[in-house]
Amino acid sequence: MQSGPPIIGVSPAIVRVTDLINHVADTGLNIVISGETGVGKEVIAQNLYQKSPRKGKPFVKVNCAALPEGLLESELYGYERGAFTGAEQKKRGKFELANGGVLFLDEIGDMPILLQSKLLHVLQSGEFAPLGSEKEFKTDTWLIAATNHDLEDEIKKHKFREDLYYRLNIIKIYIPPLRERTEDIPHLINYYSQLYTSQFNNRNILQPSSRVLQKLSEYYWPGNVRELQNVLKRVLVLGSWDDIIDGFDYGYGSSNAVRQKTEQVQPPIPSSNNFLFQNGQAPDLESFSLKDIKKNALDKVEKEAISYILEKTGWNRSRASKILKISYKTLLYKISELGILPPTT
Amino acid sequence: MQKKYKILIIDDSEEILNTYKKFFIKKNYSVATASNGLDGLKILQTEPNDFDLIITDIVMPNISGVGIISIVKKKFPEILIIAITGWGEHPGMLASEAEADLVLEKPIDLMELDKRIIDLIQSKTI
Repeated sequence: MQSGPPIIGVSPAIVRVTDLINHVADTGLNIVISGETGVGKEVIAQNLYQKSPRKGKPFVKVNCAALPEGLLESELYGYERGAFTGAEQKKRGKFELANGGVLFLDEIGDMPILLQSKLLHVLQSGEFAPLGSEKEFKTDTWLIAATNHDLEDEIKKHKFREDLYYRLNIIKIYIPPLRERTEDIPHLINYYSQLYTSQFNNRNILQPSSRVLQKLSEYYWPGNVRELQNVLKRVLVLGSWDDIIDGFDYGYGSSNAVRQKTEQVQPPIPSSNNFLFQNGQAPDLESFSLKDIKKNALDKVEKEAISYILEKTGWNRSRASKILKISYKTLLYKISELGILPPTT
Repeated sequence: MQKKYKILIIDDSEEILNTYKKFFIKKNYSVATASNGLDGLKILQTEPNDFDLIITDIVMPNISGVGIISIVKKKFPEILIIAITGWGEHPGMLASEAEADLVLEKPIDLMELDKRIIDLIQSKTI
């Protein structure tokens, strides 16, 4: 197993998190990682695992929000043959599979309260029973949980068990949102640019100008690092930062951010007008044909779409063909067929 | 005159830290303080043989008191630990499970705490 994704950043918060990881990775104590969606909670879990003596043993992930209650239970603890209708074969649960290693419970705040009781029992006793089993099995699993909920708040709402909370929260790792550590943005861009460049046929991401960086640090980043990754992928495809930056909603969740009015190139949206009225004239019923209208409309939409992408890519036809997902040859044919002209300047 | 004992106090309340620190310095202890578990652990790692006893709060940022107790009992088994809990039975029970030498509930009577510390250290050295 190769080493996990690195933790990128120079902000005091990230330096602190790294320091904390180095001090607790060998303890095997229960950990809760918290932070907004997209901040990289799984990256932290992977790093803990990589730096622990359990490295090389299983790292098993379960997303507690992704499965309905019954399935989550059998996923975690497994079942015996005949435990319920349809249980034709014995199935091993994640607790068993993670034995000796790490069980990463993502979205622990979404675990149904009945399953929380069962989890608490496992944590207290170190034993679990698969569904339909009379026997309890010992488990030696390092539990790392993650959540984007405020668990203390969930306790007040009686959605999370207080005793489980304290048992899990032996060590807390909180990752602040990206907007609170904007000094990390250039480092993240650097790291992911290199990563994506090698993934996307060595296409290079333009280094952002200081104006772009300024805009990036003013943005709210509701999706955090994951959103930044997506932005970088789009920059890679479009070859420019400007349109993406201009498309940011600066009003999002932030009271002091200035909502920016930006001039945007509107993406082509097929309009229903003008397909019937050629040159402002009502159609001649003699030559009226749905087939022709369809062809006309299609040509128009295609022309708009292709022109739009060509403009975006600075008439880089090879890149445009990839975005449009048509062959280079087809694109050249369409350009001449539809009479699309390169900019004269 | 007793030997000068060295203690580490870990609590995320600045006020409590200051109160404890003043009191124990007056009582002729050598005192170090940390406002969270990680900083406390770092102090221990730089001077592992220096401390006789740790007083730790339970509910704290990053490494909780329960975490501190577990780590210290494993890495520095010689050091005594008093856990102070104010949050009902769960954390207190966890502190005992982690084998704190003593678990006390808030509010704390400092004179009483001083007595318990000396009892603990002396019962260990005898």
